[in-house]
Amino acid sequence: MKSKNRTVQLIVFLTLIILSLAYLLPIYVMVTTSLKTIEEINRGSYLSLSGNPQFSNYREVLYGSAQFRSHMLPRLINSCIISFSVTFLSALIGGLGGYYLSRTRTTFTRVLFVLVGIALYLPYQAVIIPLVIFMAKTKLALTYWGLIGAYLILNVPLASVLMGTFFLSIPRELEEAAEVDGASKIQTFFRVIMPISLPAYASVAIIVFTQVWNEFFLALSLSSPKTQTVQVVMAEAKGTTIVLYNLQMAAALIAVAIPLIFFLLLGRYFIRGILAGALKG
Amino acid sequence: MVFLFPMLIFLIILYGTLVWTIYVSFSDWKTITPNYQLVGFKWYQFIVAQPRFWVDVQNNLKWLILGVFPTVILAIFLAYLLELSPFPVVESYVRTLILYPVAMSFIVTGTIWSWMYEPNRGVFNTLLREIGINSQLRFTTDPQNATYWLILIFIWQYLGFAVIITQSSFRTSELQEMIEAATVDGAGKLRILFSIVIPNIRSGLMVLVSLLLISTLKVFDIVYIVTFGGPGIQTDVLALNMWITTFQQRLFSAGAGLGVIIFLMAFILIIPYTVYALRKWFE
Repeated sequence: MKSKNRTVQLIVFLTLIILSLAYLLPIYVMVTTSLKTIEEINRGSYLSLSGNPQFSNYREVLYGSAQFRSHMLPRLINSCIISFSVTFLSALIGGLGGYYLSRTRTTFTRVLFVLVGIALYLPYQAVIIPLVIFMAKTKLALTYWGLIGAYLILNVPLASVLMGTFFLSIPRELEEAAEVDGASKIQTFFRVIMPISLPAYASVAIIVFTQVWNEFFLALSLSSPKTQTVQVVMAEAKGTTIVLYNLQMAAALIAVAIPLIFFLLLGRYFIRGILAGALKG
Repeated sequence: MVFLFPMLIFLIILYGTLVWTIYVSFSDWKTITPNYQLVGFKWYQFIVAQPRFWVDVQNNLKWLILGVFPTVILAIFLAYLLELSPFPVVESYVRTLILYPVAMSFIVTGTIWSWMYEPNRGVFNTLLREIGINSQLRFTTDPQNATYWLILIFIWQYLGFAVIITQSSFRTSELQEMIEAATVDGAGKLRILFSIVIPNIRSGLMVLVSLLLISTLKVFDIVYIVTFGGPGIQTDVLALNMWITTFQQRLFSAGAGLGVIIFLMAFILIIPYTVYALRKWFE
């Protein structure tokens, strides 16, 4: 239903301008400001580029300085360790669980599906107190396993539903052929289903990764100084550094860099993951 | 069974913690040391007796209504416009343009917008002054309207997500055929949108509305980072109240009670989505 109508074209054009302004301005200001000196910012012309790009702002943010006490680098590493571990483990476990949900048709599966469905959107506030108490008691809160475990509990249901949505679209004939050849269910899964589902795994991985990387509530309540994530240190920096906008924006840019690169490179998988979550797999 | 077992373990832990939270909410735990002595609804009465709780409820309602419906209406408009637009380049450009915030955290978005909103030297008011408008907007420091400015950040961040889901609802062959037929009959673009497109993407819209409702109900990060509930407690929401009650005031039973209240609201909101998903999955 493409339209050559003049009015439509005009509306499209106007919408483009408004959207471009609304969505490019924040990121433009973030990037340019992160390269400015504090004097340049005080002059207030936010749209101009920096006359003398200060890449040292990034060094200050990563390694810390008198103005920016919370070093980002160790937190960046923490976020990487936690997010990649959770992504890998939830994709693995979610793949197995999703396969079960998509291939069995008993009342038990239905009940299980409802439980998983509710778990998918469970507010973290409803589980945080036991998690904090448990992690503190077992001293897991002091290690990466505290946050990894907590995130796994909340992301395995998500990964299961997303993977299951993809598995539903795989024809059964493939598995039947493998079973005729004498393969067990587990062999069939790892040798037949998994290899053809790699794009689905990529979608689930990028969704889970982004979600865990960006999560704040659990990270705030559960992380110890040694396992603090990027988001928590960002929030801290905003609270303590007053009006050092160049450093704040440099920190923001460092904090979004990894998920943003994944989004730009793997946008297709990202969109497919979102659609699977909206049951459009 | 290998397939079921690992997922089941995590589910059992998850629902175990939920039950544990419910138990805590009925006990008398008000210091750092756990106290599991049951006291009935004592802490629920404490919660609803606080004026703060009712400020939260009002704000959460604002979030639910103003965070969801404008986003959905804008998304329908944009998705339809992208369908009508004769240039494929426009579509891929707009998709990337409005979807990139989905990859960012509310903490980062909130940090950027806090600065843009800053009333004296912030980006918006400075730019407005440069083009000759002496803006008196106080944004998130205005006690009357602060919540609305926070909701705007949410809409900005979730619009791309909403457009993607709406667009995929358009892409069914039945709907495309109906639109073809109506176009041949000479129906106008707006007429087609209201009498053919919208009625036929109801299930897609229902899913979208459910997902957005849940996200606005759970809102915590934006409020924490931009205003921390202020000015005063004007922008406070249930999730932030829960966090402050639990981890700053250490009233664990009251915090658990707030957690249970948020859970029950989420549970009600997610019923239509779950029923639809169940039917679709086992059809």
